[in-house]
Amino acid sequence: MQIRDYIIRRLMILPILIIGTSIIVFALTRIGGSPIGIYLSHEMSPAEVQEMKERFHLDKPVPVQYFYWIKGVSQGDLGWSGVASAPVVDVFPKKFAATMELAIAAGIVAVSLGIAMGTFAGARRNKISDHIIRVVSVSGASMPLFWFAILLLIIFWVWLGWFPIGRSDPNLFEAIPHPTGFYTIDALLAGNFSAFRDAIWHLIMPAVALGYGATAIIARMMRSSLIEELQEDYVDAAKAKGLAERVVLKKHARRNALVPTVTVIGLTFGFLLQGTVVAEIIFRWPGLGRWMASAVLRGDQATIMTYVMFTSILFLFVNLVVDIIYAYLDRRVVLGD
Amino acid sequence: MRNILVVAYSILLGLFLTVGVNAQTIKNPGVLVHAADDEATTLDPAQVEAGEGGETVILQVYDRLLEFGPSGPELIPGLATTVPSVENGMISDDGMTYTFEIRKGAVFHDGTDVTAEDVKFSWDRIVEMDLPEGQAGVISDIVAETQAVDDYTFQVTLLEPSASFLNSTVVSMAASIVSKDAVMANGGVVEGEPNEYMAQNAVGSGPYKLKAWNRGENILLDINENYWGNKAKLAARIEIGAEPDVRVLGLRAGNYDTIETDPSFVADIEGADGVTLHTGGLLLEPIHVGFNLNIPEGALPKEDTIPTDFFHDPRIRQAFNYAFDYEAFLYGPLAGFGEFNPHYLPIGIFGHDPDAPRYGAQDKAKAEELFRAAGYWDNGFSVSVITEEANLFADAALVLKDSIEDLNPNFRINVLAVAEAVFDEAHAQNPVEYAMWVKNADPFADPHPYMSAYQHPDGEWGEVHGFANGYRNPEKIAELIDGASTELDVKKRAAMYSELQKMLFDDPMWLITAQEGVTMAYREWVTGFVHNPLWPRPSLRFSYLGK
Repeated sequence: MQIRDYIIRRLMILPILIIGTSIIVFALTRIGGSPIGIYLSHEMSPAEVQEMKERFHLDKPVPVQYFYWIKGVSQGDLGWSGVASAPVVDVFPKKFAATMELAIAAGIVAVSLGIAMGTFAGARRNKISDHIIRVVSVSGASMPLFWFAILLLIIFWVWLGWFPIGRSDPNLFEAIPHPTGFYTIDALLAGNFSAFRDAIWHLIMPAVALGYGATAIIARMMRSSLIEELQEDYVDAAKAKGLAERVVLKKHARRNALVPTVTVIGLTFGFLLQGTVVAEIIFRWPGLGRWMASAVLRGDQATIMTYVMFTSILFLFVNLVVDIIYAYLDRRVVLGD
Repeated sequence: MRNILVVAYSILLGLFLTVGVNAQTIKNPGVLVHAADDEATTLDPAQVEAGEGGETVILQVYDRLLEFGPSGPELIPGLATTVPSVENGMISDDGMTYTFEIRKGAVFHDGTDVTAEDVKFSWDRIVEMDLPEGQAGVISDIVAETQAVDDYTFQVTLLEPSASFLNSTVVSMAASIVSKDAVMANGGVVEGEPNEYMAQNAVGSGPYKLKAWNRGENILLDINENYWGNKAKLAARIEIGAEPDVRVLGLRAGNYDTIETDPSFVADIEGADGVTLHTGGLLLEPIHVGFNLNIPEGALPKEDTIPTDFFHDPRIRQAFNYAFDYEAFLYGPLAGFGEFNPHYLPIGIFGHDPDAPRYGAQDKAKAEELFRAAGYWDNGFSVSVITEEANLFADAALVLKDSIEDLNPNFRINVLAVAEAVFDEAHAQNPVEYAMWVKNADPFADPHPYMSAYQHPDGEWGEVHGFANGYRNPEKIAELIDGASTELDVKKRAAMYSELQKMLFDDPMWLITAQEGVTMAYREWVTGFVHNPLWPRPSLRFSYLGK
């Protein structure tokens, strides 16, 4: 079988997998009960409850409800979010962009600080600065995110008033268009420096809170990799050739030490995405995590199903891409050996 | 080392001084920042539920014909220039026709004039749409006909004389006046279907204009510079969805000017620098335990051992009322902010009779006597009570459990604390498939809606819970409630409610745990603070406030 045929075969299977996933997601959410509760108020009479069921097709058998839902999804109607009081399709992209922006900012904090701290500590093994960085790293890895986030909130928002919570100054946010949904990028595209500064200012606290735990992991990995590299023969050879200590460290040892660290960084991004739920709740960041937590607590099934379907499809595509890469790397995958 | 200490001390001093400055400096000048509990669902008066977050915004951006004034139930003119009365000739002698003179010069936010036709359109619209989540019944249950007599005269004919028309219908958020032009240009009126434009926008004539609604973040309100009355002093920003602890921290830091809170946070707020705790008055939403007299066969949870007619016996209902530890609830979860409320007419509502017989104090001996007489003392029973999780209602259910189980080890109360959506679904069933549930009542300004919804054998809950199966004299109770609703003589009406309260003491259909007290907190720099529980929560009109 050619690689092209393999890819075509995998692409043909993909819609079946997506439909299968949608059935499973729909069935699992319905096991938790009817989603009607989110649309009801305690003043409604039974006749009014029935009207609400009819409006959302919840008076029909579950398989029929599934077809209404999948028909809506195919037409871009993901249902009504009771938590956000708006169509899911309108809210999801905004929340997704907000969460990604926070996760990326936290990733930048974690990577830049982690590599710098790890390099600094590794190059000064067993010196006082190494011990200090080790303490800082262990603290970051062992402090619960919610506790550290509240600590930052109390010190920098309540006491000092240096950093705000939420995502933006609403007046600045309203003043610019939002083509990407990323406030920082939109502010730059609009050429509005005040809005850009506002975006950064709002990002700092949640990004630091979220990134600190990952910083610790990256710094620890960077330090130990660098120490290993510094014990390699090529380092001694470089020094013997007369290269300056700083050049050996930056041009040779650090570059090689980054290889295992980058692997950890990749894994860390998943950790950051998980952490956004807590950070968003504490810092009132209007992202997917906070929205989803409310949706789960209040039984907002349209929102939950969209989120689960989105992540499922994302994983299906990622798996597809990985399989294709494997196929290129190892022909036996294509040949089915 | 010395240098390090100097730096450390400098940082600490700076930190201390910064806190001091924060306490003195007004933050967010020109804007009132209110931290709200949750998101609005809709901004359309025709769709909004009573007590829902959207009413907070509707109060500020729309006008009604009449409004509740700042200090209690007195009515003041809104878009109507005069409060109708028989004396000024604007209520007909038979009490059937009300005439409202519409204010000239009032304009909607879209620039069009407010006319009697807009008023008629607004009222007719909610009845025509008749959305299940809305409050069409506020108008359709009482109004026979509306008429725009001329551009500035609006007339209403009632189905029957009503003592509560002005202070329950006219002032309700559902009766807010919308721009006819704006509605017709954006989807019009369709029976049974929400108007998406009106759900997300607001074209009223109130002191505020809706600037933006960023879901999950905030709602921004601009001052309406063309407002016909006293203009708002501050723009307003409603911050949505901060955790209760974060709201308290934000208030203490001065980042929020007013917050929604409850008695459990009073200890965190009391004595905070620059913060005022407002605890005057009572909410008009009695927290109640419902007794179901209409339990379907086989519907109860399997742990329940009671027969379906358990609550038909008034002695059982009385026994529960005597057994409840009112002090534990009032001084526990409510932190002392509230009152023992003996009747279904809350303190502060016309018709509340302080001399009527009351429960409100635990009497274990009396409870035991009644349970023995009803035949349940020796063998005991097990019954479930459903409630929302993690709030005052769940606390009330737990106090009930402690009270009843402490009385007799053979008694068992299973508290089912569930997610809000699950509770709402269970609560909206007819018949309800649980023997008991805990919630609060909706607030009203007139006694009739309380009596009609919660006590009348054919009323909203009377029908669902089968009150006719349990009242000793359902006809008499119905006659008194119906009669009081149309009785225009104030003294006679008060006497009827007094008699009702005596009857309902002997024949209780609810266990009223307490009347919750007001616990609002705001920054000291907020001026003109007034709080009226008859306004939708948080019971503030932002236009009155300055800083």
